[in-house]
Amino acid sequence: MDQNTPFLRISGVSKTFESEGAGHAPIHVIDDVSMDLASGELAVYLGPSGCGKTTLMRIVGGLETADRGEIFLSGKKVTGPDRQKGMVFQTYTSFPWLTVIDNIRFGTKYRRDIGGAEKDEVAHRYLDLVGLREFAGFYVNKISGGMRQRVAIARTLAAGPDILLMDEPFGALDAQTREFLQYQLLEINRIENKAVIFVTHDVEEAVFLADRIFMFSARPATVVEEIVVADHVPGERNLATKESEAFFHLRNHVRNVMRGEVGRIEETMAQSGAGGAGGAGGAGGAGE
Amino acid sequence: MNPGSIFAYRGTSSGRTDLILGIGAFFAFIAVWTAISEFGLVPQRFLPLPWTVVEALWRMLVERNFIEDIGISVTRVWGAFLLSVVMAVPIGVWMSSYRAVSAVLEPVVDFIRYLPVPALVPLLIIWFGIGEASKVAVLFMGTFFQLVLLIADDAKRVPREFIEIGHTLGAKPRQITRDIVLRSMMPSMIDNLRITLGWCWTWIIVAEIVAANSGIGHVIWSMRRFVKTPEVMAGILTVGIIGLATDQLVRLIHRRYFKYL
Repeated sequence: MDQNTPFLRISGVSKTFESEGAGHAPIHVIDDVSMDLASGELAVYLGPSGCGKTTLMRIVGGLETADRGEIFLSGKKVTGPDRQKGMVFQTYTSFPWLTVIDNIRFGTKYRRDIGGAEKDEVAHRYLDLVGLREFAGFYVNKISGGMRQRVAIARTLAAGPDILLMDEPFGALDAQTREFLQYQLLEINRIENKAVIFVTHDVEEAVFLADRIFMFSARPATVVEEIVVADHVPGERNLATKESEAFFHLRNHVRNVMRGEVGRIEETMAQSGAGGAGGAGGAGGAGE
Repeated sequence: MNPGSIFAYRGTSSGRTDLILGIGAFFAFIAVWTAISEFGLVPQRFLPLPWTVVEALWRMLVERNFIEDIGISVTRVWGAFLLSVVMAVPIGVWMSSYRAVSAVLEPVVDFIRYLPVPALVPLLIIWFGIGEASKVAVLFMGTFFQLVLLIADDAKRVPREFIEIGHTLGAKPRQITRDIVLRSMMPSMIDNLRITLGWCWTWIIVAEIVAANSGIGHVIWSMRRFVKTPEVMAGILTVGIIGLATDQLVRLIHRRYFKYL
């Protein structure tokens, strides 16, 4: 990759979903979005529910196709899902028929770049990294939701992806677990130094995690504001960061921008009378 | 009400209480049967005593080589069932994996599924004669088309995220099917196979009554000709016992292999 090629380039992506029901207009979810990400950068997509941020992330992952525009990862055009683009979902996707360690090992199953012994070593390394060594032999429905998400993250990392795509991974967790996992994700990212796209509608989560925040408008999604967090909240991120004044200011600013967008989405929904059409996350119903 | 009470709505209960209740109900059933027969509420010619039925079963086993008929029926049922499974599982999963396949197959399967199997028996006899082939054909027609849709449904119920995870871990469609879809749907599939196997027993008796010179259904039907009610009931009882035993076996497999449930 030469100097001028960005690690990830999103170039003029637009997307429209055909409505399932007759008589409904097609839903324009993403409108001409472009951005570049550096390797090792943690980007947060922040936006109101149903604005299309998840869909954009899924397009990056190759799980959806853009109507217009292209994605390049390390200069190579994205044409479909593969091992380079790891996903972590909001719903629990660790496999119930496998134990914790076997779930993580599953991440290495289709790797051809390493052999059996090394796969085992990789699986155990990520088991340790997410702090689940004592639970290695547990079936995943015997452990808590927070642990299940850690299993999912470890499994994805074990596959050796170049970029991690996380779709509200902590959305279903209680506040304490959520905070703990946010911190743990930063720790993991410090060690792994992978590019991450993290989708959320939680302002505090966004400000705490992000190197860069992309704030999206209501549908169709466009980037309304881009914030480099280090410009506002200097220093290393830790649990005390959330108490700092700089964090507080940035959070309030982001919250105000988002309030405007949420207001807009409520209005457009009321006008079109299509309250639930498109569903949560934009990709939900129409994503087949 | 105490949630531990057996009368609590969706309450919890211990395996021991369940067992005692089950055995109790069984004996109560036998007692009522005995009373009705013993006191002549129904003439014994039509409702023999339970003991008489067991005795008849014993006589049939010892004197008439009934065990051979049982073996023949079991073989027919399992032969046809396995044939049905071997075809329905891949086709069902295939239907769930590709829109085009289900678009082509579903209307046909749905149509045949609604044809009453007894109505097909005469046709199948014309086609396959009264030998083993027609038995297998009847059972196959009675189970395959239902099973294929049940399997397709089980496969469709595998969460979409599981499949997408497979893609992003670098699995090929074939590997996703084998390692994720089949594995995820296994418990509900085993349940459906258990239910389908039960239907096989319905259809085998129908098939053997209509045209056969061996098998449990044939025995039941020929005993009827001489109004040997105990023997007829013994034949029916045999089917019930085999069904119960198979069911317990499948449950055991379930508990052993699906510990995570």
